[in-house]
Amino acid sequence: MKKSARALAALLVSGLALTACSSGGSGGGASGDAAAPAASALDQASGTTTVEFWHSMTGKNAEALTALVTEFNAAHQGKIEVKPVFQGSYDDLIAKYKASVQQKATPALVQVYDIGTRFMIDSKQTVPTQAFADRDGYSLDDLQPNIRNYYSVDGKLASMPFNSSVPLLYLNTDAFREVGLDPAQPPATLAELGDLAKRLTKKDGSGQTVRYGFGAAVYGWFVEELLAESGSLYCDNGNGRTGKAAKVSFDTAKGAEVVQWWADLVKGGYAANTGRQTTDAQAAFKAGTVAMHLESTGVLRGYTEAAKFTVGTAPFPKTAAGDQGGPVIGGASLWISGPGHSDAQKRASWEFEKFLASPEQQAAWHTGTGYFPVNTKALDVAADKQWVAKYPQFQTAIDQLAATKPTPATAGCLLGVMPQARKGVETAIEQTVSGSKTAQQALADAAKELQPAIDGYNASVG
Amino acid sequence: MPTAPPPPARPRRLGEHGLAWAFLLPSVAVFALFIGYPLGRTLYLSAHANDLFGAPSRYVGLKHYTDLLASAEFRDTLLTTALFVLLTVVPGVLGALAVVLLLEGRIRGVRLLRSAFALPFAFSVASASVVFSVFYNPASGVLNGLLSQFHLGPVGWLTDSRYALLSVAASTVWMNLGYNVLVLSAGIGSIPDEITEAARLDGASGLRLARSITVPLLGPSLFFLTVVSTVNALQSFGQIHILTRGGPDGATRTLVYSVYQNAFAYGSSDFGTASAQAVVLLVVVLACTGVQFGTLERKVHYA
Repeated sequence: MKKSARALAALLVSGLALTACSSGGSGGGASGDAAAPAASALDQASGTTTVEFWHSMTGKNAEALTALVTEFNAAHQGKIEVKPVFQGSYDDLIAKYKASVQQKATPALVQVYDIGTRFMIDSKQTVPTQAFADRDGYSLDDLQPNIRNYYSVDGKLASMPFNSSVPLLYLNTDAFREVGLDPAQPPATLAELGDLAKRLTKKDGSGQTVRYGFGAAVYGWFVEELLAESGSLYCDNGNGRTGKAAKVSFDTAKGAEVVQWWADLVKGGYAANTGRQTTDAQAAFKAGTVAMHLESTGVLRGYTEAAKFTVGTAPFPKTAAGDQGGPVIGGASLWISGPGHSDAQKRASWEFEKFLASPEQQAAWHTGTGYFPVNTKALDVAADKQWVAKYPQFQTAIDQLAATKPTPATAGCLLGVMPQARKGVETAIEQTVSGSKTAQQALADAAKELQPAIDGYNASVG
Repeated sequence: MPTAPPPPARPRRLGEHGLAWAFLLPSVAVFALFIGYPLGRTLYLSAHANDLFGAPSRYVGLKHYTDLLASAEFRDTLLTTALFVLLTVVPGVLGALAVVLLLEGRIRGVRLLRSAFALPFAFSVASASVVFSVFYNPASGVLNGLLSQFHLGPVGWLTDSRYALLSVAASTVWMNLGYNVLVLSAGIGSIPDEITEAARLDGASGLRLARSITVPLLGPSLFFLTVVSTVNALQSFGQIHILTRGGPDGATRTLVYSVYQNAFAYGSSDFGTASAQAVVLLVVVLACTGVQFGTLERKVHYA
């Protein structure tokens, strides 16, 4: 049993620190809830260990995930069975997860979106990925540094990144050529994007707009990304990385500038306003009624298959030429449940996490979906190299993230009420577009309305 | 064995009462389980704060209610709810009445038309809402396509806060039309032929017949529809969730939708506030129904 010998060695090295950590952490309950069990737990388990896995993947991404699960189950037949359960959107999933915590019936493994990270840590329901890695001596160094940065608190990885995305600027290259623009020279700043949007907007004989130069969902994520590009923080205490964030800082001059820029394009008739639903904005781009578009890299595969024009990708725009920041990764990560689950289940979930994060699987995931590979070695896999050579659109995100220095700004804001903060910014965008408030006023009001929620959350987790 | 004297009256009545209760027990149990318990639980939750996972944590008394009264957002929500009720109930009932009266005319294929108008009843709210969301799409929707034929638009049906509530209400009116037409058709069918014929012999026709005979005799059906549509409008959820999610900028956030948002959306898990709002909703529904019974029903003529 080479494996358990190694685990034992790891235990000798890190075991003391770990137990100290876990007993201080969860306060009451079994002391082993937040500790990673040894590999022997699974080896000694009789029969098949079932891992219920809640996720939010749909369409192409669900197909790719099912293929990975099937492969894993086949390789571990009779030992581990992962049962994927689709639980609706990320928001729906977290609502159901909260209910499952109340009923003490959590799933063994759960996929939670980026902005649920602080909540998941505070929930004290999970075993940190770092604990498993330390116990097994499993190296986390192959993880893409920006992605590792996002899901780490105090240098410790809280969850295993799985589907990671970066935002991209999508281009309808046919529209670019039609108006005499070179898609190889995409706009790099918001000002340039605005100018090109005016040139790409097309009206028919009667003055009706048949194509908008720009169009994106009213999605707070894009404002978060633009602020990170400018190197600004979204919330205090170093984006919630040095301590719990107690205040948001999106209501600055930079935030107002970004939101006002967007609203002005809509009001001028150069940008389509398709509302908050991302699927509506995606449909408009795929249909060719929008020439430039902001979206996650996770929809790239779907776009290249559905659009009748050549889809181009460009780095997410900077707010101004001198911006020193970069994009924050988005997407979701996987959390292993501690309380209420057997050691065998925890180990089985960890085995599945390691499988998903391996270079081959991440290469399949990358090419099958467009999500960014969380394992840098995935980019060296032959199949991935061939794919990227054939579809150079997939290269943009790789270059963009490689060029981004991990900083507090690009790590993204960790905030317990991040979903509500995002909603507040979305309301501010709507108010600015409708003209009922200036961007500065709308963002200031959003920050003010959010404050009781932040205070309440921080008070409840102590 | 000597025959026992006939039992005195009291115990016998008690026996009858016991029997009555025994018969009532199943429905009382169901009522207690599915109405009584949830109502009690809602009241309990509305007086408690919530922990991280939404479980009740500590007693806060009436704080959620006083917070609601002080909140400008909640006042907007109540106003939106009232507008939504007006915009769906009035056109829904009057529209169905117009359809039913027109179908009274002696036209060929009236049966086919009647079925056609009742058809929306067969659509679920979800599928109808999805179809409407395609119609309303600002970039590729049918409505803006039609408008552009007349060199108008484009209109942000669901994305412009001035039109969003109107658009959601219009789709709701369509969805309710089928049921309303069915109820009123049945009502008209139950008007005795002699009455209409007598009126016709007296020379009444068209508008006059409708105003003096048909509509008054439809009173019970119209009253029923008004009450039921009002309660339905107050409880509408599906179309708002699918079409606008309460947006843009809260323009379509009705009371029910606000309950949902506080309890389940954006990870807030604020079941305390949501429960307080649910209690307000219950009071509003009871008040509306009470007022309608107090004012409208007096004018209804039960034949």
